[in-house]
Amino acid sequence: MQAVRNLVEIAPVHEPGVVTQEPTEDERGWLARAKRAEVTAFEAIYRAHVDRVYGLCLRMTGNASEAEDCTQEAFIQAWRQLSKFRGDSSLGTWLHRIAVNAVLGRMRKSRREQDRMQAVSDAYPATSAIGDSGGLRDLEYAMDALPSGARHVFVLHAVYGYSHEETGAMLGIASGTSKAQLHRAKRLLAQQLN
Amino acid sequence: MNESDDRNTDAGDGALMAAARALPKGITPGRNLWPAIAEALAEPIADDAVTPQHKGLPHWQRALGMAAAVVLLVGGSSAITWLAVSGGQSSVVPQPVTEPLQLQPVSGSFGAEYELGAEFMAARGNLASQLDAKLDRLSPQARAEVEKNIAEIRASIHQIDRVLADEPDNALLQELLLSAYRDELRLMQRVDGIITSVMRREDI
Repeated sequence: MQAVRNLVEIAPVHEPGVVTQEPTEDERGWLARAKRAEVTAFEAIYRAHVDRVYGLCLRMTGNASEAEDCTQEAFIQAWRQLSKFRGDSSLGTWLHRIAVNAVLGRMRKSRREQDRMQAVSDAYPATSAIGDSGGLRDLEYAMDALPSGARHVFVLHAVYGYSHEETGAMLGIASGTSKAQLHRAKRLLAQQLN
Repeated sequence: MNESDDRNTDAGDGALMAAARALPKGITPGRNLWPAIAEALAEPIADDAVTPQHKGLPHWQRALGMAAAVVLLVGGSSAITWLAVSGGQSSVVPQPVTEPLQLQPVSGSFGAEYELGAEFMAARGNLASQLDAKLDRLSPQARAEVEKNIAEIRASIHQIDRVLADEPDNALLQELLLSAYRDELRLMQRVDGIITSVMRREDI
């Protein structure tokens, strides 16, 4: 487990995912205008959230091309469903839910899970601003090698900070299954990182 | 929100979770995705591009699809239990076939965009045919019970399948439908096994 501990020594610990974040003033304005079909306002929402949506899609699919497609699909669906967004959750959480559906739908449709080859790390260095991120890159590699069920739960719960209930609801599984998959993911990651 | 879930994890787990939380949440795509999105937004919404919430079956019918999955699980379990308890007496006297049984499986449809594997469908067809023949050995009451339960399962499959055709990307419905097919197969296997077992005892 020493390798895992080393990960933390090189990485600043951030707050868990911004799950319950309130919409900013800007976001409220964009939302109101986007609901009136103003594409420029929706573009502003896209610009503010695309990295988080793409990050989730990339970690869930492990494939940059698939992640791009899922991200586009998620924002197109978000545009069409904007009238349904009432602010019960944060805009980021709502977009993540749509993105997870896009990823799951695409994976089931294409059944190309076994073809996942491209590593998350291809895109990782471009945005990382954590200094020496070698340890974190190892973690990204290890996550990418997880079985899909365990990977999805680990990404949503451990990386993005969603509760097991939220993770289960997004993935269509019970919260107990989410906990079991997290346990499995942690065990497999520890084996890989040691 | 994760703290309580992870309260009992050891130090290694804690370090791993902390490292995971430290990962950057956002990753910039390698190319600009907006132009294609903007183009899609400008297009009129085609029927097949409309999200499930905008078209198709009303909410109560989707709920009915979900409920159907629950019903079939309960129904399937009851049938197995009933047969296990009463199968010994009911199968002693073979009954003549008075009308053809309708136990051929429903189509292998799995929503609008999927088909079940050929191997699964072949196994399902074989099992249904075998069951057709073996059900003749059950009493009318037992046979009616089995037929009723299989019919209920298949009605549920149809119902879920219909809703799934409207919501092809609904992961929960996909899981429920797959589970329904499995339950149908399991029920047929169990009924087949119970009848075979009773037949063996009669032979002795």
